[in-house]
Amino acid sequence: MLDGSLLVQMLIGALLGLSVYLPLAAGQLSLATPGFMTVGGYVAALLSTRVAALGGAEPLYPLPSLLLELLLAAVVALALALLVGLPVLRLRGIYLAIATIALNEILRVVLLNNSWTGGAVGIFAIPQPFGDPLGYLAALAVLLLLAGATCQAIARHPLGRAMAAVRDDELAASCTGIDSFRIKLLAFAASAVLAALTGVLAAHFFNTWNARQGSFDASITTLAFVVFGGSRHWLGPVLGGLVLTALPELLRPVGDLRLVVFGAVILLGPLLFPQGVVTPALLQRLLP
Amino acid sequence: MTMPPLLELRAISRRFGGLQALEDVSFGLQEGEIFGLIGPNGAGKTTLFNIITGVTRPSGGQVLWKQTGIEGLPPHRIHRLGLARTFQNLRLFESLSCLDNVQVGLGRSDRRRALELLALFGLQARAAEAAGGLAYGDRRRLEMARALASAPQLLLLDEPAAGLNPGEKQELSALIRRLAAELHLTVLIIEHHVPLMMQLCDRLAVLNFGRLIALGRPDAVRHDPLVIEAYLGGAGGAGGAGGAGGATEDPS
Repeated sequence: MLDGSLLVQMLIGALLGLSVYLPLAAGQLSLATPGFMTVGGYVAALLSTRVAALGGAEPLYPLPSLLLELLLAAVVALALALLVGLPVLRLRGIYLAIATIALNEILRVVLLNNSWTGGAVGIFAIPQPFGDPLGYLAALAVLLLLAGATCQAIARHPLGRAMAAVRDDELAASCTGIDSFRIKLLAFAASAVLAALTGVLAAHFFNTWNARQGSFDASITTLAFVVFGGSRHWLGPVLGGLVLTALPELLRPVGDLRLVVFGAVILLGPLLFPQGVVTPALLQRLLP
Repeated sequence: MTMPPLLELRAISRRFGGLQALEDVSFGLQEGEIFGLIGPNGAGKTTLFNIITGVTRPSGGQVLWKQTGIEGLPPHRIHRLGLARTFQNLRLFESLSCLDNVQVGLGRSDRRRALELLALFGLQARAAEAAGGLAYGDRRRLEMARALASAPQLLLLDEPAAGLNPGEKQELSALIRRLAAELHLTVLIIEHHVPLMMQLCDRLAVLNFGRLIALGRPDAVRHDPLVIEAYLGGAGGAGGAGGAGGATEDPS
């Protein structure tokens, strides 16, 4: 049942989970992960279908062109994250969540109504850099490993402690010498870049790309990855993304009930596992 | 005293809507002194701390640190200048271990130094425990350890003895004296327990309804008629405040 294509989607889920986790580790809720993923996907879709020089007509889309897309998607996501984060993150509280919902909606409406981005139909026939799902699997695995290793390194670094301090008590963190605005902006920007990079690979993999990738449903789905997996360790959202992406496919007989499953996870998850499935205490027991 | 003050407040005022929380408060702290700030509840003591540490902006006046204005700087910049504080309502990083709370204060990973600081407050055995699970007295001490981690020149303590029993209060008082001497600290301390403050502080400032009503050595402040009136609501004579200075709303 676990075919290559499902495994690719599971890795995409894990990466999106990490993207939601990063700002949460500094106490900030960003709902714009699907929005940034959409942006990354459009960068890939537009470049590979409209810029002939990149080699879209070749049987296999050249890898250097893919790398260029990744780089450009990162830059665009970073710019957008700064645009939203610079004014909003100076405030304490839930403002980032509100602003990122707005960002998602603006992106969706702009992309839907713009002929340049394919309007409601989106962009299709996106060239393939890899001949089979295995290639995507490898590319996404590399990205996940890099992102996971970075999270692991941050956790042991003063930066990780500063993020946790801001999450626990932002005022006390400021009075302990931490530039909380900078920490929050950094976490949000990293989240945006990771989602955009994932979007580039996802657009090529799905072959077609449209604005529906960044719907509010998608925001809630990616949030569920972290609620289910846990937000106190980076392995939590990775597990959440893997499991919750696979679950609806494995439960295909129930069809549309998949949304009910997500709803149930968000409702029951905090009751059964208040800190998510993966907690620091659990990891300490498993990896002494 | 010819030395310029380490910290100087000049005509500080702060208004919250219609409430004048502080009005024209001026005093200076000399390097190395233990300076007490007392006054009834709502007198503006914590607001003054918040203004010094950048949490609240003053509506008027200046905060001079080594003769440079620092009012309006964000809290983390003020902290880096060498001012560290504790909070009246304990603000620890609850999910972090005691060790990590202190390392946040250090601003770097230095296990050994963090353990030394914990040991200074008798918390070395709790190093790996989450701060949120500590007993009350330990939490107070951990907050002081975190504040001291950055090796500040000025330590601001907001009611460090609140909730401690008399024995613990005496220990704390001795510890503050020892730390001030050993680490060449200047200490600004808010505390309701007047007898403790009389014995601990080199000088005291008394706030009432946002105004500075007395400033000086403890024995002078204790006999100041305005202070006696503030604490006893105008009914007291000199005898009321004379004894153990027990004229406080918190007789514990």
